[in-house]
Amino acid sequence: MVERWNLVLCGFLALALIGLGGCPAARTGPEVARAPAVEKDKPAKERVAKPEKEVKEARAPTALEALRRGEAPVTPKESPLKEIYFDFDRYDIRADARATLKANGDWLKGNPGVRVVIEGHCDERGTNEYNLALGAKRAQAAKDYLVQLGIAAERLSTISYGEEVPVCTEKTEQCWQRNRRARFVITPAKPAT
Amino acid sequence: MAVRLFIILFFVLSVLPSSLGAQVRGLIVGPGAERYPIAVSPLKSLAPAKDEARISEEIADTISRDLMLTGWFRVVDRSAYIEDPQRTGITLGTFDFRDWSTIGAEALVKGGFLIEGDGLTVELRLFDVYQAKEMVGKRYTGKVKDFRRIAHKFADEIIFQFTGVPGIFDTKITYVSTAGGRFKEIYTSHLDGSERVQITSNRTINLSPSWSPDGRSLLYTSYKEGKPSLYVFDLFSGKDARFLSSAGLNVGGRWSPDGQSVATTLERQGNVDIYLLDRAGKVVRRLTDDPGIDVSPTWSPDGKRIAFVSNRSGSPQIYIMELGNGKARRLTYSGGYNTSPDWSPKGDKMAYTGRVGGRFHIFTIGADGGDPQQLTSGPADNEDASWSPDGRFILFSSNRAGPYHLYLMQASGENQQRLTASRGDDRNPSWSPRLQ
Repeated sequence: MVERWNLVLCGFLALALIGLGGCPAARTGPEVARAPAVEKDKPAKERVAKPEKEVKEARAPTALEALRRGEAPVTPKESPLKEIYFDFDRYDIRADARATLKANGDWLKGNPGVRVVIEGHCDERGTNEYNLALGAKRAQAAKDYLVQLGIAAERLSTISYGEEVPVCTEKTEQCWQRNRRARFVITPAKPAT
Repeated sequence: MAVRLFIILFFVLSVLPSSLGAQVRGLIVGPGAERYPIAVSPLKSLAPAKDEARISEEIADTISRDLMLTGWFRVVDRSAYIEDPQRTGITLGTFDFRDWSTIGAEALVKGGFLIEGDGLTVELRLFDVYQAKEMVGKRYTGKVKDFRRIAHKFADEIIFQFTGVPGIFDTKITYVSTAGGRFKEIYTSHLDGSERVQITSNRTINLSPSWSPDGRSLLYTSYKEGKPSLYVFDLFSGKDARFLSSAGLNVGGRWSPDGQSVATTLERQGNVDIYLLDRAGKVVRRLTDDPGIDVSPTWSPDGKRIAFVSNRSGSPQIYIMELGNGKARRLTYSGGYNTSPDWSPKGDKMAYTGRVGGRFHIFTIGADGGDPQQLTSGPADNEDASWSPDGRFILFSSNRAGPYHLYLMQASGENQQRLTASRGDDRNPSWSPRLQ
């Protein structure tokens, strides 16, 4: 009787460990992402030693993470996925954005385990609700373009932040353009089942 | 009855002999009208009590502030008052109207209160100074902590006596404030900013609070679970519950006037559209289905139509949809960016935010169409108009003084005054229904 409960307990613990840290064996390709909040719960033996070059690649924080930390949601220069920019009140993909999306798409093809959250943002002009909708359309436009380039849709999720988490606050054309953007934030790969 | 009183008052006042040596006029409500001079006396404490001086002054202060906010009254400055309210009576014959007519007051508010433990009884009377008559008297009972609400109720009664429609001060407002920090949290308060209560403290982004028709709960949008979703907060129980968190955007929920449905904006397959939900937050009907943006629904007071924003014509404009047949027609044709509509409780007009010369201003337009009226102007952004329950005032957010603050104006655009002065930005205001 006691042995059976021990078995159940061990099984439960094993499941819990797998659930917390993911299956190390299933990771393919360079693991650039780190799950932010869950990190501290991971038992030490789960952490996989990373090759040198991945450690240098900086991960962009999500806008919500940046807000919580009191930082501007800047996408670091070293991030492999670059931002794209939009015209005022528009969500169509500009010519300059197409080149960036192609480069982002190529990187994603070369790193098939990686999933991305695409954030849609707006400049501060206009009302909050409309800008949330506009941000959603911007994120979706970027996703649609990447899907057209051959990236699996299941790898890409979208979220709008409207005008809520700007990267700068000056009332200038330059700052407004910086905020009218879609950001690509890498999230941890799902463990293989 | 009150309308008759008003008409009688108006005629009587206009035929009084000018040998009284004072200007005689009734209360005229309209653009450019002069303010009606009224005195609001501190209340008489009918029995000694702790806090009596504070209650006496603050009830008078609250009534005075409410009357001044309407733009229809000028409260005669208390420093000019002659009589000592603690030594005179509060009923006809127990005080001298000449003490008030000589300082230019044409109407007078006087009263008394009794504190017993934590219970409060307040008696308030409105007098016509020239007629030397009482217009109305009311007695209110409650807890001592309710003294401001009692004052607001009597201010609404004064306005009813003069205009035939009760005032809107026994109400609350809700809004989003950064309060000087970086997180947008939701607050409620009275219109004058008193009794401010913080509703959320989840340290993320909270937006677009709106009132249930019974005034008991708020519907709002929050990122507290990681993505924009709808939540409902019960103001009486303090309970907060998720209302809808479907995949994609969930934003800007508004209750129907009968409290049976919520119109909101959701996202499906990358398409942003208006949907109807039932009281449990379940989607029951999709209202728009075009590839562009459809957002920000607001209900007509009869619950048969909604107005919303759509960019189906190429730029964001206000549309009206008949819920019966689902047909939508465009309402705004001036300007290239019109958003954030709010339907007047009187049903006749829409207020909205329009972009003019690169800045944002509050407009009104007839619900049947017609020429829009621009109510704000100047180098500032004025957004998110919300009507008072009587349709005579508009609450909005403006950054004309630097950060965004809440402002009040008459429906004509006159008498624009700042309401809030907290640190940080105050935005997304919503005016409650009349409180029960």
